Amino acid sequence: AMLTRTSRLVSGARRARHGEQHEGLHYNIPLQDMRTLFPHSLPPRFSMQVKTFSEACLMVRKPALELLHYLKNTNFAHPAVRYVLYGEKGTGKTLSLCHVIHFCAKQDWLILHVPDAHLWVKSCRSLLPSTYNKQRLDQPAEASIWLKNFKTTNERFLSQIKVQEKYVWNKRESTEKGSPLGEVVEQGIMRVKNATDAVGVVLRELKGQSSLGGFRLLVAVDGVNALWGKTTLKREDKSLVAPEELALVHNLRKMVKNDWHGGTIVLTLSQTGSLFKPRKAYLPQELLGKEGFDALDPFIPILVSNYSPKEFESCIQYYLENSWLQHEKAHTEEGKKELLFLSNANPGQLERLCAHL
Amino acid sequence: MAAATLPAWLALQPAARTLRAFCTAVSPATRSAIPSPRTAGRTSRYERPLRRKALPPRTEKMTVDLDWPSVYPVAAPFKPSAVPLPVRMGYPVKRGVPMAKEGNLELLKIPNFLHLTPVAIKKHCEALKDFCTEWPAALDSDEKCEKHFPIEIDTADYVSAGPSIRNPKARVVTLRVKLSSLNLDDHAKKKLIKLVGERYCKTTDVLTIRTDRCPLKRQNYDYAIYLLTVLYHESWKTEEWEKEKTEADMEEYIWKNSPSEKNILETLLQIEAAEKNLEVNKEELLGTKEVEDYKKCVVSLKNEGDNEETLSQYKESVKKLLQLM
Repeated sequence: AMLTRTSRLVSGARRARHGEQHEGLHYNIPLQDMRTLFPHSLPPRFSMQVKTFSEACLMVRKPALELLHYLKNTNFAHPAVRYVLYGEKGTGKTLSLCHVIHFCAKQDWLILHVPDAHLWVKSCRSLLPSTYNKQRLDQPAEASIWLKNFKTTNERFLSQIKVQEKYVWNKRESTEKGSPLGEVVEQGIMRVKNATDAVGVVLRELKGQSSLGGFRLLVAVDGVNALWGKTTLKREDKSLVAPEELALVHNLRKMVKNDWHGGTIVLTLSQTGSLFKPRKAYLPQELLGKEGFDALDPFIPILVSNYSPKEFESCIQYYLENSWLQHEKAHTEEGKKELLFLSNANPGQLERLCAHL
Repeated sequence: MAAATLPAWLALQPAARTLRAFCTAVSPATRSAIPSPRTAGRTSRYERPLRRKALPPRTEKMTVDLDWPSVYPVAAPFKPSAVPLPVRMGYPVKRGVPMAKEGNLELLKIPNFLHLTPVAIKKHCEALKDFCTEWPAALDSDEKCEKHFPIEIDTADYVSAGPSIRNPKARVVTLRVKLSSLNLDDHAKKKLIKLVGERYCKTTDVLTIRTDRCPLKRQNYDYAIYLLTVLYHESWKTEEWEKEKTEADMEEYIWKNSPSEKNILETLLQIEAAEKNLEVNKEELLGTKEVEDYKKCVVSLKNEGDNEETLSQYKESVKKLLQLM
């Protein structure tokens, strides 16, 4: 079909200047960037799509545009502002977060990305008592995975940032004051036992130093409601572990508090991985609970909703261009109406439906 | 037709054979022709019990404007032949419909109120009017009734045909009162609601006390009044241990000394520190219009729960507060 208006933005360097007029268009992220920025963190269906089309295209949508607008006008001397993306299942919160992360990466911010906080509070094989604080518990496996990914994303900063204190790991190894942060990360990756403490150190250093202004810090956490919910982890004596007893969770909670400046915190709420929450819950108070809300207050809630008609049209065009929709009726008006009705303009549902066609 | 209405026993007489033939010719819904073995011997004719033909159901003769209370004057089981409605009831088999009303046990099992149609009730009311007194003319609106008689007592009397006139259900007494008509201050009202628990309805502001622990209605009524008096007096008193009320006990969200207040104060102090305004008063910070706005939004968010409106108001107030635009 001849398309008079392509659904793609062919912008290269103009990526930073997404504005209102670009709403509904797709833009391309080069695969090189994908590997550095998102080594582990895309939703599984989206990464399958990326592989199939051999290109990563995100749609520019209102919530992301709003966030970018705020980010451009942030005052970095003020304490970090927290933005919470919330919405029903499948509306595009994680991908909006990815859009924001990509934008910040292009602007040379340091990205601290936790792809899914729910992974840290459930199904952990190895729980060790913490070496740093006896009452807390370590998760070496998750911590080391995160450190590896952090290294991939922020290679160039690791040599620039210097630690400000001396950290002693054990009798033989220690990191001196003034050595680059990369050493701490290496230490954590090599000595898996110290991985959780390494994560704690990294977070603390970044928080302290971003206020000095050497770099801008973006803290992006997906599924932040896991930090204040319940866990399914048990100790050897089968007693339940509360989230604050996990060292990773404790440090991350400190990170999303707004007592530092020089950056921003963007969070998403997610019911999909959450424990003990009803399936239809998507509002902030329902998912965060009283504790979470009090901890994150004041924050800016941003609703991510289903596709508007223009966005829906654009998404269908994108699939058609990539010859993803093979059904002969897919590009007719009736076909589109049927798809709209079946998916109710929900991006996740639409993607699943189109996968069958 | 005379032939059709002849009782069956007449047909026994041999002379009526011609009449029977006449019957079969005239009315189609005749009894089945008894086969010729009848002629064999007289004895068989007397032994075999003769059956009357099933008459057409009563519903076919019913007109639209008949007097229904005379069909069902009292509570009676469902008679499919007497109810002209095409009711169906039952779980359908696959690709089928629920069972029809003829011979339907489900319709028999359930209670029916065919004897209490509005027409029937009107007739009952007309009959009972002779025993009633006039409604006082001064109480012509609900508000006046509320004002002069805030407490409502519900009792039920039961009459049934049986060996005894007693019915244990008759001793139940329900007392209903609106809390707005009682003289309660804020603390007393909260304490009363906590004391009664389930018996208070928030939407209609009605306290319902249902008593049936005494054997007589009079005793239950006295007990209910006593309960109301005790609740009222107790809720006005303040005990020693009430000072230990924690945040988890609070019915609604109070802004003062809440974590939200502390957060916002810290944030604002940090903002001021960044702007290099060192000498800032805490009260001043908390007294600004933006903070007032924010406070209202947080309180409404916590008390009413999340919905689009409260969330968007909260968002606007936070944006103004943190000077984002």
